[in-house]
Amino acid sequence: MARQQFRIGVMFSTTGPYSVVARSMLNGALLAFREVNQAQDVLSLEPVVVNPSGDLAQYRALSLDLLTSGIRQVVGCYTSSSRKEVIPCFEKFDGLLWYPSHYEGFESSDNVIYTGASPNQHVLPLVDYLATHVGTRAFCVGSNYIWAWENNRIFRETLTARGGTVVAERYLSVGDTEFDQVIATILDQRPDFVFNNLIGTSAYAFFRGFRAACRARGIDQASQIPVASCTLSEPELGEIGADAVDGHLSSSVYFSSLDTAENAAFMRAYGEAFPDGPVASADAEASYIAVRLLAAALQQAATDDARAVRSAVANQRLAAPQGEVRIDPQTYHAWLTPRIGRSHANGQFELLLEARQPVAPDPYLVQSSPRFATAMRPPLLRMVKA
Amino acid sequence: MTFRLLQNFKGGRALVITRRAGWESTLETTLAKLGVACDYPDIVDGRAQIDVAMLSPERDILFVDGDLDGAVAIEVEPVSKLPPVPVIGLVGVEAPSRLKALVNLGATSFLRKPVYGGAVYSALFMGINQFLLRSDMHARLQDLEERRRGRRAVLRAIILVMRAQGLDEDTAYSQLRRESMRARQSLETYCEDFLSRWAKPPDTSDRTSGITLQGGNKQAM
Repeated sequence: MARQQFRIGVMFSTTGPYSVVARSMLNGALLAFREVNQAQDVLSLEPVVVNPSGDLAQYRALSLDLLTSGIRQVVGCYTSSSRKEVIPCFEKFDGLLWYPSHYEGFESSDNVIYTGASPNQHVLPLVDYLATHVGTRAFCVGSNYIWAWENNRIFRETLTARGGTVVAERYLSVGDTEFDQVIATILDQRPDFVFNNLIGTSAYAFFRGFRAACRARGIDQASQIPVASCTLSEPELGEIGADAVDGHLSSSVYFSSLDTAENAAFMRAYGEAFPDGPVASADAEASYIAVRLLAAALQQAATDDARAVRSAVANQRLAAPQGEVRIDPQTYHAWLTPRIGRSHANGQFELLLEARQPVAPDPYLVQSSPRFATAMRPPLLRMVKA
Repeated sequence: MTFRLLQNFKGGRALVITRRAGWESTLETTLAKLGVACDYPDIVDGRAQIDVAMLSPERDILFVDGDLDGAVAIEVEPVSKLPPVPVIGLVGVEAPSRLKALVNLGATSFLRKPVYGGAVYSALFMGINQFLLRSDMHARLQDLEERRRGRRAVLRAIILVMRAQGLDEDTAYSQLRRESMRARQSLETYCEDFLSRWAKPPDTSDRTSGITLQGGNKQAM
C-alpha cells in the first residue's frame, strides 16, 4: 500500500517578542512530524513552516498563502489575537487550524481544533490554589490584548465570588518592558500576590524588575508577593535569568518535570532533536499533541478534507507526555490534566498540585461559572490623599 | 432592582420557530456548547404550537424565523413592548416588513440565516441581556410613574403639617421624610397613608368605656 502524503502548514512566530515559546512550539510540532514519519508506514507528513514574526498582518497573509497552495491543515498560532486574525481565512477556505496553546476560551470555531488548555483547566484551578494557600488580594498585570483582558475578567469574577478582591489591573503593550511605574504601584498596594498575564519579553522584564525592586526594599518577593501565571513555562524561566527565576507559581497542564514514562520518552527525544533549545514547554507539548492527533485523524479519514479530519479526531486518544489526552466531540477542545507548579532555580517547576484525571474542557465556562456576571460598580469614595 | 448581566446560559431552552431545512443544525450544535437545549415546536396551519402560559423567562428563549408569516402569536406588554420571554429574530429575507414584524414581537437581537456558528453567542448574549435590561428599565419606569402620581399627596401632606404645626415648608418636608424612613415606606406612600389617617380621625367611641373581661371584674388597661 502506498504511503499517503500530506503537506501540513506550521505557523509559529519564531522571531519577535514571544519567539522563545514559539520556537519551543515549533520544536514540539517537528518532533511529532519526525515520529509520525518514522513510525507510520501508511502516512507521510511534510511540514511547511512559515514565520509571521508576531505581525498580525503576516499571520493573515501567510494563512492565505498556505491555504491557497492546497494545504488544508495548519498547526500554529500562540497569541489569541493571531488566532482570531486567521480564523476567517480558515473558515473561508474550509481549512482546519490546530491551535496548540492555552487560551481564554469563549470561542469554538468549526475550523479550529484546540489542543491547549481552556480557562477551566488553567485559571480556575489557579484561583482555587491562590485563595486557599496564598491570599485573596490580587494585583493583575497583563499584555494589552484579549488574552489578558479576558483571563483577568475570569480571574476577577472567580476571585470576587470567593470573597477576594482585585486591587488594580494594569495593561502594557506586547513587547513593552517599562515597568517602573507598575512595580511602584504594586509595592504601594502590597497585594497578597500578582496575577500575571504578560507574555514574552514583557513578562521576563517584569519578573526581573519586580524581583529587583522587592530586593531593594528588603522584601522576599517569592514568599511575600508571589507572582502567579497561566503562561509561564520552562524556556521562559531561562529568559528571566538566574537572579529572578525561582518561586513563581504557574498553572499548566504540563511541566517538563512530570514523572511519567511518556514524558521521559518525550523529554529524551526532544532533548536529542533540539540540543540547542529552547527547552520543552506546555505549548511545545500541546503542539506535539496537535500533530500526533492530526496524524491519527488523517490516517483514519484517509483524506485531509477538514470535515472528515474533524470528525475523525473525535475518536482519537493519545497517551501524551502529560497523561491521556482526547478531543471533546462537542467543543473540539482537549481533555487535559490541570496542574500547579512552582519554579526553582534550576529552571524547572516543582509540582504542587495536580488533578487526578483529565478534566473535560469547558471553553464557555458553562459548567463552572455563576449564572450572572459579578456586578462591578465604581467605588463611591475615592482616595484623594494618602 | 438592579440589572445584572447574564453570561452563563446553562439550562436554557431554545424554542426555534422555523421550518426545518438543515441550516438549523449549526444553531443547535452551537447552542448545545453554550448549555442551551433546542426544541422545534410544530407548526400547524401556519401557527407554531407554543403554550405561552408555560413559557419561563428564566429558561426559555424564542428564536423566530422572520420568513414565517405570523407563525408566532404572543402578546407583548403594552407599554414596554416586551414579550414574555426573550425573542431572537432569524433573518432570511432582510425586508423592512419582516424586520418590523420581528421588532413587533419584541426581538432584542438577530441572527442571519443560514446561521454562522461564530455569531450565536453574541446574538444570545445580546438578546437575553437586552431583554433583561428592558425589563429592568420598565420596572424602574413603573416605579417612577407610581411615585410621580404620589407627589400630589406629598404636597398636600406638607401643607397640612405646615398648618397644623406652624412649620415652614422645608421643616415640614424633612419631618415627613424622616417619618417615612422610620416607617420604611417611600415618601409618597407614607404621605398617602398620612393623609388618609388625617382625613379619618380614629373612631374612639368604643374605647371610652371599660371592657369587662369574662369571668372577672378587671378592666383592660
